[in-house]
Amino acid sequence: MGAERSFAKEVQQLRAGEGEVFFGEGILAVTKGLLQSGVAYVGGYQGAPVSHLIDVLVDAEDLMTELGMHVETCASEAAAAALLGASINYPLRGAVTWKSIVGTNVAADGLSNLCSPGVMGGALIVVGEDYGEGASIIQERTLAMAMKSTIWLFDPRPDLQNIVDMVEQSFELSEASNTPVMMQLRIRSCHVQGEFIAKNNRAPKVGTKNRFTDPAVFDYDRLAHPPVTFSHEKLKVSARLPAAQRYIVEHGLNELIEGEQKSVGIIVQGGIYNILMRRLQVMGLADAFGNSKIPVLVLNVTHPLVPDQITDFCAGKNAVLMVEEGNPEFMEHQVSSLLRKADLSTKLHGKDILPAAGEYTADVLQQGLVSFFELAMPTGIHKSHIQDLVARSDDARMGGKVALGQPSPPRPPQFCTGCPERPVFSAIKIIEQETGKVHIAADIGCHAFATFEPFSMGNSILGYGMSLASAAAVAPFQERRSISIMGDGGFWHNGLTSGVVSTMLNAGDSILIIMQNGYTSATGQQFIPNSAAGRHKEPPGMDIAKTLKGLGVPWMKTIRTYSVSVMVDTLREALTTDVPGLKVIIADGECQLARQRRLRGENAGKLERGERVVTPRFGIDDEICSGDHSCIRLSGCPSLGIKDNPNPLKSDPVATIEPTCVGCGMCGEVSHAATLCPSFYQIEKVTNPGVFENMLATVRRGAIGFLGGGA
Amino acid sequence: MELSTVRPITLLIAAMGGEGGGVLTSWIVNAARSCGLPVQATSIPGVAQRTGATTYYIEIWPEVLSVGATKPVLALAPAIGEIDILAATEYVETGRMIEAGYVTPDRTTLIASNHRVFTTHEKLAMGDGRADVAPIKKAIKERAKRAVVVDMREASSKSGAVINAVMLGAICGAGVLPITRNVFEDGIQAEGKAVEANLRGFKAGLDAATTRANSDEVTEASVAVHSALSHAISNDFPLAAHQTLIHATTRLIDYQDIAYATAYLEKLKPFAQGDQELLVSVGRNLAVRMAYEDVYRVAQVKAHPDRLMRIRKEARAQTGEPIKVREFFKPRLSEISDALPAGLGRWLQSLAERNPGLAQKSWPMLIETTSVSGYLRIRVLSGLRRIRRSTLRFKTEEQAITNWLAYVGKAMETSHKAAMQVSECSSLIKGYGDTHKRGVRSYSAIMNQLVVPAVTGDKFTDQLAADIYAARTAALADPEGKNLMAVLEGMAA
Repeated sequence: MGAERSFAKEVQQLRAGEGEVFFGEGILAVTKGLLQSGVAYVGGYQGAPVSHLIDVLVDAEDLMTELGMHVETCASEAAAAALLGASINYPLRGAVTWKSIVGTNVAADGLSNLCSPGVMGGALIVVGEDYGEGASIIQERTLAMAMKSTIWLFDPRPDLQNIVDMVEQSFELSEASNTPVMMQLRIRSCHVQGEFIAKNNRAPKVGTKNRFTDPAVFDYDRLAHPPVTFSHEKLKVSARLPAAQRYIVEHGLNELIEGEQKSVGIIVQGGIYNILMRRLQVMGLADAFGNSKIPVLVLNVTHPLVPDQITDFCAGKNAVLMVEEGNPEFMEHQVSSLLRKADLSTKLHGKDILPAAGEYTADVLQQGLVSFFELAMPTGIHKSHIQDLVARSDDARMGGKVALGQPSPPRPPQFCTGCPERPVFSAIKIIEQETGKVHIAADIGCHAFATFEPFSMGNSILGYGMSLASAAAVAPFQERRSISIMGDGGFWHNGLTSGVVSTMLNAGDSILIIMQNGYTSATGQQFIPNSAAGRHKEPPGMDIAKTLKGLGVPWMKTIRTYSVSVMVDTLREALTTDVPGLKVIIADGECQLARQRRLRGENAGKLERGERVVTPRFGIDDEICSGDHSCIRLSGCPSLGIKDNPNPLKSDPVATIEPTCVGCGMCGEVSHAATLCPSFYQIEKVTNPGVFENMLATVRRGAIGFLGGGA
Repeated sequence: MELSTVRPITLLIAAMGGEGGGVLTSWIVNAARSCGLPVQATSIPGVAQRTGATTYYIEIWPEVLSVGATKPVLALAPAIGEIDILAATEYVETGRMIEAGYVTPDRTTLIASNHRVFTTHEKLAMGDGRADVAPIKKAIKERAKRAVVVDMREASSKSGAVINAVMLGAICGAGVLPITRNVFEDGIQAEGKAVEANLRGFKAGLDAATTRANSDEVTEASVAVHSALSHAISNDFPLAAHQTLIHATTRLIDYQDIAYATAYLEKLKPFAQGDQELLVSVGRNLAVRMAYEDVYRVAQVKAHPDRLMRIRKEARAQTGEPIKVREFFKPRLSEISDALPAGLGRWLQSLAERNPGLAQKSWPMLIETTSVSGYLRIRVLSGLRRIRRSTLRFKTEEQAITNWLAYVGKAMETSHKAAMQVSECSSLIKGYGDTHKRGVRSYSAIMNQLVVPAVTGDKFTDQLAADIYAARTAALADPEGKNLMAVLEGMAA
């Protein structure tokens, strides 16, 4: 589905049958697991780290259609959660996916109402747990949401075979306990490349090719509506929970590694297992094949816990370490309570020696383990070996910093070369020099890169599509109008209602800039309602300007983003006009990554056919460049770089255009709009020129050569 | 219980989004697989992909396992101090990995490119904000077990391959992986994309790793320079200043004429017998000030006979591929009045003073220098530099230069340090339009508050030198000049 990455080749592997070796990424393995489980419908909303799962589902649509499955690309996670409603009344297995915690938050209402009546067909939510290194969102735990709504949570040991097995098991568990199941995949698990042994795909019992003849019978118990909600609440604890716990034990979903050091033990979330085992190996307490001297209980299911399993593991041990990443430590509290109630004296360690918050990296976990072994002092652990290890780690942690003596300059992500969103922020920077600073409500999307240098813009980020709503109580207290930035993805996801409609309802006087680039670009250019072409090549046909016109927005302009001067004038007007109410600027420009990919294909075809192709790019006369870098402070384009000054009398580096320039035109526009130096020039190279064009070029070169301009 | 102590080979790749790190990872994974070695790779794409710093991590089990044997547990994330190969595609990213603890003397073979891709933070400085790379070089020596450091960007542009192919060759050449050259090459061929270029890039990396390993030395070519005024320079000035003065006179002759360059040497003569460091500083700054940028200079550069060929090369235009070049000009009224003969210029300025709207006005224009009429306009403008000595700007600059030289001369009498600082203040003035205005504003503020009172009161001291230095640095801290104002106010208080 995404324009950025096609899985068309990889999805062929999804047809693999019984006993074949499947090699691929984590998300492909999950998809294969869904097919092996006989799901009837899949859906979701994109967001790292599971954006590509949506891409895979869509790229595998042919295969799914063959099997009688339905694929839905949902407009938001709320829609995806509601999609699972099909499993309440029908024995249909369904799976949806989104980025968590944010997607889970958006889906929360639907999830609560799904969980109350419970499900008949297995329902699985694959969440990409965007936590720790590489995460792009607030750091919270999905477990909290699973616990409060009664959703069982898998956190599988990150081995592709195990992940696929757990996908299959999750449907069984869901049906055995009439409860939806979540599977949390950490960032690296989603992208891990590995292998597993495949099974045959299974068509759903009822599919799009053999439909139900009649709808489900009316059954009030299946509604999330009083009075049955009261009995649902009781059912969750009296029937569904015990059923789930029974299933977990009977099917061995959690794994026990027997170790000879029976006096201690470690309980670990499945997702942290590989890190733990490597630490134990480095400490000489385990090997690379999962054999350990220390007993380990691996929880592939982190909610619910099974009390007997926990107390059986802890019984007879002096001390147990709970390795639970994230805050608050819900599982540790439960284990602690179980031990107390079972009257076990086993000492429980966890967040007392491991950090309360933050990712459990190898180094963090190792420090925790060292503390644990010092406190618990099991036999058979060589103290000198541990001390050597600690010294080595200390050197690794500090040695490089000392040798370097200075911190490295940060390199955060930024707008791509030629990005259509960059010129909008250049325009804001220019107008702010005239009007003074304005309050800027930022949003989720590529445009959030404007919070980094050289723009450093944005006073708040409140969630996807929430910028305008977040400015509602700011605007009334500002002398100047505030500006809210929103992507078209965010607009359709949430911004239309919570932002535009809410502001219109309250006659709010503020400015909304909608970045209309045609995709959810940050997640890999998935299609949205206003994309030029959707997943079936046909345009979905929805239009932002028409929608807003229909709502009666009093002031609206659509501006090509690269026209910086026009954008500056438009912003000035929006900031100063007497027209009351909401003022919307649609900043129009196709995502450059997507555009370049499209052009590469088109131009390759043209060149092959001998047709005319124009290649634009920019250049800088480095003799004229002042070395002041105003242009960079207004742009920050990756292809606008710096190099040594060619003038040996000057020391400041000069600006230079890297060969990666796509000739978007922004440099010229900015130097006009901001009256920068005249060093910029635009080049257009014509391949396969027309006869007349060629002649003209020859004549011109001759004449210019004659005038002294070289040739 | 007997525990096996075999461990996987660990490989961490530090790259920037968009450099093909994912493809490089796949090449290595596929090569390991075709050797029957268990392998696992992970990455953290997400938004870090968008040109930010990112990493890819691979673990390869060093032995072929028998069918049905238990598979090893491979880690998904790198651990500090436990990396066998660290591959970094850029020099500061190399430093970042050393800083993070992924390069350790007991274990890590470092394979890095020493070219720089500057970060936004380094690029946007008003002067030279580039990070010092000497500490990185030192840290590599101290922290890597073995280092292969080469300019992979150069190797990549020579071979026409993306940098990842060069890196693959270097990784292979380093000899840490139990995978032979032909396996990697077969992998590139099997993929079938840009095969020729990638194989060339691979070989370049391989050769670099096997033959030029650890050749992180860059030798600076000594440039022999001459100038029409070489004779005058060697007669009147000490050897230490010759290189600077030859560069300066060559440029001034190109900028105006021989007489102008001779006048330059005349102005410099009072400093000839004094401190040589000061002579070089004044010589450099004076030349830059005298070759100030105006419309005639811009036109001259744009009309230069070699320019079109250079641009064609930049655009990679082949024979038979015409190019169009468009220039972005936006002269303001002040730039026009500056370029006019002094009387006319002053009249225009006084007109502007009475009409604030006019003063703000600027005229955006696009001139196509590859069209005959466009080129002709630039050429004529370039030729008009002959009237430069009569222009308003020239008179203004001459006066400012005379004052500045007097200040430096005066300062020289009592404090060498102060004289150096007064001289170096010149570098604040550069560019056109707002940049120029801002530079002049900062320069004047420092002159008026710190230098002029010292001239009249004869108070050039080392303390004043420190103050001027602080003010000069503050002037480059922010475009709005807030830092400079704060520093100057602090000094006045």
